Amino acid sequence: MSAKGDMFYAWTAVPDIKGECGGAVTSILKYLLDSKIVDGVLTVQKGLDVFDAEPVVITDSADLAKTAGSLHCGTLLLPKLIKKYLNGAKDMKLAVTCKGCDAKAMYELAKRNQINLDNIVMVGLNCGGSVSPVVARNMISSQYGINPNDVVKEEIDKGQFIVMTKDGQHKGISIDELEEQGLGRRTNCQRCETKIPRQCDIVCGNWGVIGDKAGKATFVEICSDKGAMVFDGAVKAGVLETSAPNPKGLEIRGKIENVMIKMGKKNQEKQFAAIGEGTGGRLTYIMAETSRCIKCYGCIESCPICYCVECSTKKNHLVPSGRLPPDFMFQLIRFAHIADSCVNCGQCTDVCPMNIPNSLFMHAQQVELQKMFGHKPGMDMELPVLAFAEEADERARLNATGSDMIYENVFKE
Amino acid sequence: MADLKYIQSTCPYCGTGCSFNLVVSDGKVVGVSPYPRSPVNEGKLCPKGMYANEFINSPDRLTTPQIRKDGKLVPVSWDEATSFIAENLKKYKPSERCALSSARVSNEDNYAMMKFARGVLKTNHLDHCARLCHSSTVAGLAGSFGSGAMTNSIPDIAESKCVFIIGSNTFEQHPLIGRREYMAKAKGAHYIYADPRRTITASQADLFLQFHSGSDVALLNGLMHDIIKNGWEDKEFVEKRTKGYEELKALVMQERYNLENVGKVTGLTPEDIHTAADWIANSGGCALIYSMGITQHTVGVDNVHATANLQMLTGNLGKPGTGVNPLRGQNNVQGACDMGALPVNFSGYQKVTDPEMHKKFADAWGFPEDIAPTQNGYEVTIMMNVLVDNPGELKCMYIMGENPLMSDPDLNHVKEAFENIEFLVVQDIFYNETCDYADVILPAVCYAERDGTQTSTERRVIRWRKAQDAPGEALDDWQIISMVAAKMGYEKQFAWQSASEIFDEMASLTPQYHGMNYERLNTPEGLHWPCKTPEDPGTPILHKEKFLTPDGLGVFFPAEWKAPAEVPDEEYPFVFTTGRCLFHWHTGTMTRRSPTLDKEVPTGWIEINDEDAKALGINDGEMVHATTRRDTISVMARISPQIMKGTTFMPFHFAECAANLLTHNALDPVCKIPEYKACAIKITKIEEGQ
Repeated sequence: MSAKGDMFYAWTAVPDIKGECGGAVTSILKYLLDSKIVDGVLTVQKGLDVFDAEPVVITDSADLAKTAGSLHCGTLLLPKLIKKYLNGAKDMKLAVTCKGCDAKAMYELAKRNQINLDNIVMVGLNCGGSVSPVVARNMISSQYGINPNDVVKEEIDKGQFIVMTKDGQHKGISIDELEEQGLGRRTNCQRCETKIPRQCDIVCGNWGVIGDKAGKATFVEICSDKGAMVFDGAVKAGVLETSAPNPKGLEIRGKIENVMIKMGKKNQEKQFAAIGEGTGGRLTYIMAETSRCIKCYGCIESCPICYCVECSTKKNHLVPSGRLPPDFMFQLIRFAHIADSCVNCGQCTDVCPMNIPNSLFMHAQQVELQKMFGHKPGMDMELPVLAFAEEADERARLNATGSDMIYENVFKE
Repeated sequence: MADLKYIQSTCPYCGTGCSFNLVVSDGKVVGVSPYPRSPVNEGKLCPKGMYANEFINSPDRLTTPQIRKDGKLVPVSWDEATSFIAENLKKYKPSERCALSSARVSNEDNYAMMKFARGVLKTNHLDHCARLCHSSTVAGLAGSFGSGAMTNSIPDIAESKCVFIIGSNTFEQHPLIGRREYMAKAKGAHYIYADPRRTITASQADLFLQFHSGSDVALLNGLMHDIIKNGWEDKEFVEKRTKGYEELKALVMQERYNLENVGKVTGLTPEDIHTAADWIANSGGCALIYSMGITQHTVGVDNVHATANLQMLTGNLGKPGTGVNPLRGQNNVQGACDMGALPVNFSGYQKVTDPEMHKKFADAWGFPEDIAPTQNGYEVTIMMNVLVDNPGELKCMYIMGENPLMSDPDLNHVKEAFENIEFLVVQDIFYNETCDYADVILPAVCYAERDGTQTSTERRVIRWRKAQDAPGEALDDWQIISMVAAKMGYEKQFAWQSASEIFDEMASLTPQYHGMNYERLNTPEGLHWPCKTPEDPGTPILHKEKFLTPDGLGVFFPAEWKAPAEVPDEEYPFVFTTGRCLFHWHTGTMTRRSPTLDKEVPTGWIEINDEDAKALGINDGEMVHATTRRDTISVMARISPQIMKGTTFMPFHFAECAANLLTHNALDPVCKIPEYKACAIKITKIEEGQ
């Protein structure tokens, strides 16, 4: 019987499963489907090529083989899709593969009653960051001198972005070098500190797998009781084989995680410093960048924190409709409602047709709010700093206290 | 249950050709999701694309064929409808028949219509709405370069050292191309924007040239004058790759095109014109981007020639970040033109009047009798004139996916024209203003319900993929045409079983598409034409070493500046210009049925300069009378300092205040495009009690 905190090397016992490194994730997903613990698996599969990561809901475990392997150009966020298109998992059980940002988004959606986390098995994935597909292709062409159409596999390993071509050519370039030139990982990934998302039920990756199992096993950490049950069930069902992890491997895994967290913090400092401070600096810069906004609503549609049926940005008295660019109030509403809970998933920057670095602005504010209020979004079910209140109800509540001390009545426990 | 599929398809709105995922659940499209893999838009969308799912399952969708019996529309079976159509079409002579194809349906549908018009109806009176927007481009650039299409591709605009945007409000009309303009600027490029209105696209400009609508040739000639005067022309390019330079030089070096005189005509300062000339010639690579502001004039062809002249003069062709880049409006207007839905061309711009081409198509199609004769047919704007001026010459019309009763100029004239059509068939996805005149209405499938290809403004051929079934009995446009053709006895010539088969037939006859097929097109990149062989990787940038003219040289077509056909006078003191807005598409059939877009912009307006409004005593939001020599409408005033004094603007999407009731049917003599961008108008305040 495993328990939260236990760690294993795990690999598939199913002959046809070929994973990224051992096939443990794919096997666990197979177990969950075959045993009907879940009705479907939400994950990504290769679309037209290795740069095209297509979200997919798998209901037949025979289709899981297509989803095996890592796609570093998988940049989409899965949890919002559950809210939008799968009724928030309220009437179905799902297993979902989660990068750090996916995991955090899950919790924020759950806090707002937009998905039922009890119905979801979160299979966490270590993530060093993803690369936008077209950037990857342009990068491979210009920096590697390789035709991107010839690439059959890509990976991020030991600080390098490595590609393999169909005739066996291997080439890697340091991620740092690429990012100095504005290429490489998405900018929010560069700032990210959630490399091993332990808020999932189990978390899997290849960091720390050394010795004869290197490249052939997945490092699995159990993170919850649900995770323990799932893992033990998979082993018992015969789809998974395990062994204890090499203690040196554990150390290495910890080291890699710490290095990446440090890198994330460093990039935050660097990127946030570049947008200035205060009303003369940061605010002016934000107003200039957002003046290109064409009201596509992409940021709102893709944001895991946004869920209002009647979005305030669509209220004519707050943001006059049909005007371009929209009044700065549009951006202020987003900042005011989202900033405390931004999980730095980067979707708002990815989808913006006018290249406005939305997630940079939002994340910068979240970091300040975290310093003030101590709230870290996406880790657990702790409620956010900001909460929706009906004015009439709130006034009644405050009145009933018989006191006019707002701070005491609102902020104190 | 847990049923979710992502079908990758292409946006049905503008000519940028963005891709997205249609999210399908339980057999119905329920949303749009980003497709980051697309090289064109990289997962980003404008509001129309973001909500391109909202109209698909509207309850207003046409679902059954209908015949007008005793003035009432009665639902009938496909068999009855197609028999009725065949019966009626047979009554008319070829010269009495005409057809309008659609810039919004697939290449396959357009090819089918082209074959139907020429092979079944035996007429070359075939056209579509490209006439109204880029016919100047097709005619103009065909002369200058041997090809009437955008010379460069969308991604390479971002590599430009200077973007010169004239007559294109790119951020609103082609947002994902606007993005490339911005990206060029972010990398240090100069950004010149010429428009009578200070739009959101202007907000990014290093140099904003707010000039009078219709003074484009003056400005462009003025730029060339200054460039030659300063010795900034690309002498090597001019010598090796062009002809006609001496004539061009003689014309533009006239004193009437010096900076001061051009400044007077355009309303610009000589300093600004000089700066623009410097940047265009000396930045190391200038991309000229244009759209309706250049084309929709009685001098549309001259305007286009002038842009080509400027870019040839400065050697800004054949390299990334340069070129003459007309931004095609409709999602598949490039394709509709390529497919020959034009009165003068078969597919691939092969001329109708060329006996060799005539034989090529006649032989390939194998109709028992000859096809339409080697004689050019009427353009749609000429069809309207003929219907009014010579009633009885044109008697019947078949319209697929077009709404002339909202989109053509001088709508009263159009109404008169349509009153004179004896038999009208309209094939569409929604009932629109044109359907009021139809004898038969046929329900077609929309973009999400079909396989097919479309060709974007950068000549990129991309796939549509079927995501859901059509409502009711709606069918593919090509299928409907095939059924009618069969009823007329031509089953053999219309025997296709799939869109792919049609594409293959078309490609066998069309040099630019010859190397393409559905398998090769099954990539996120698609293929840029020309793509002449199965190994040809396609051509993102045209005219690299040679132009597509017979001798490979670019041709200078010098043009004198002429004023618009109708200029302001005492009675009608303002310029009236029309255009689009970001949130709506053209005649509004799709976007006004999309709740998010409709809510954003529920109705139309007339934009009036704040000083002009003050003089008239008009306030923002007030209803006013807008009157031209054609008609008068009531419309809401939007007061703005962003539009030039003396100029007014209306979007044309709204039937309740239809801008085209006011526009002028004055045409460019060569390409027959209407002057939507300039006529004369008066604005009167509606006094209380009126």
